[in-house]
Amino acid sequence: MAVLSDEKRIEAWERLMRDNRDVIAINKNELREAVNAIDQFLENNAATINNAFPAAAKNGLSAGQKALVVAYVALNRYGVI
Amino acid sequence: MATVKLQLDPRTAIPGTANGAQHTVFDGTNFPVPALAFDGGSADEAVYFLFKAINYGSGNLTLTIDWYADTASTGNVVWGAQVAAITPNIDTQDIEAKAFAAANTQQDAHLGTIAQRLHSVDLVISNLDSIAADDWVALHLFRDASDTVNDTLAGDALVVMLTLSYSDT
Repeated sequence: MAVLSDEKRIEAWERLMRDNRDVIAINKNELREAVNAIDQFLENNAATINNAFPAAAKNGLSAGQKALVVAYVALNRYGVI
Repeated sequence: MATVKLQLDPRTAIPGTANGAQHTVFDGTNFPVPALAFDGGSADEAVYFLFKAINYGSGNLTLTIDWYADTASTGNVVWGAQVAAITPNIDTQDIEAKAFAAANTQQDAHLGTIAQRLHSVDLVISNLDSIAADDWVALHLFRDASDTVNDTLAGDALVVMLTLSYSDT
């Protein structure tokens, strides 16, 4: 899988600005750079993250389901949900 | 010589059919706050106001924009405005096909500390489309969000009141 297209990164960035309800102390260009950086990080570390799943989940879940696991765990860890 | 001031209530705004800013009302602690929400994304969201240039005399129009940030506590917002003026009984222009004069823009910086503090900025409209006394006028207000070099405020910019001023002489 390649990094997101520019259009998809913009979509994620706009969605972030729309959904965020807390005070944000950085500007929107810095937020866009964060989206780009995390997309690149996920691209670079996809195999590492995949290998962190136990064998059953690693082999039994789809890529999308594993993405949801990562997202939900992260959102819970930092009190977003 | 006097200054005419017209208040343009955000609730009277007509959102653009494409990329329209959103009418919204926030439940404040003690009173509701109606506002026009302009996204910070890649589209230049817009609204339109229609008014009569009652007793317009001469000179530029000054549009005072009262706004606040939804979530941002830093960054700049770039506001743009342009007018289209028609003199009834004299101009033969088709009202439904009338074009706007070139836009003027004004940048305003968030003053920090509290995200939802109220800001005010004057946008001078110098491209007047030959406006004359008692003209019918369409005003196009937009956030120049696609100008990401200058418009850097993350999230919505919320307009709560507009005041248009001009000289009657």
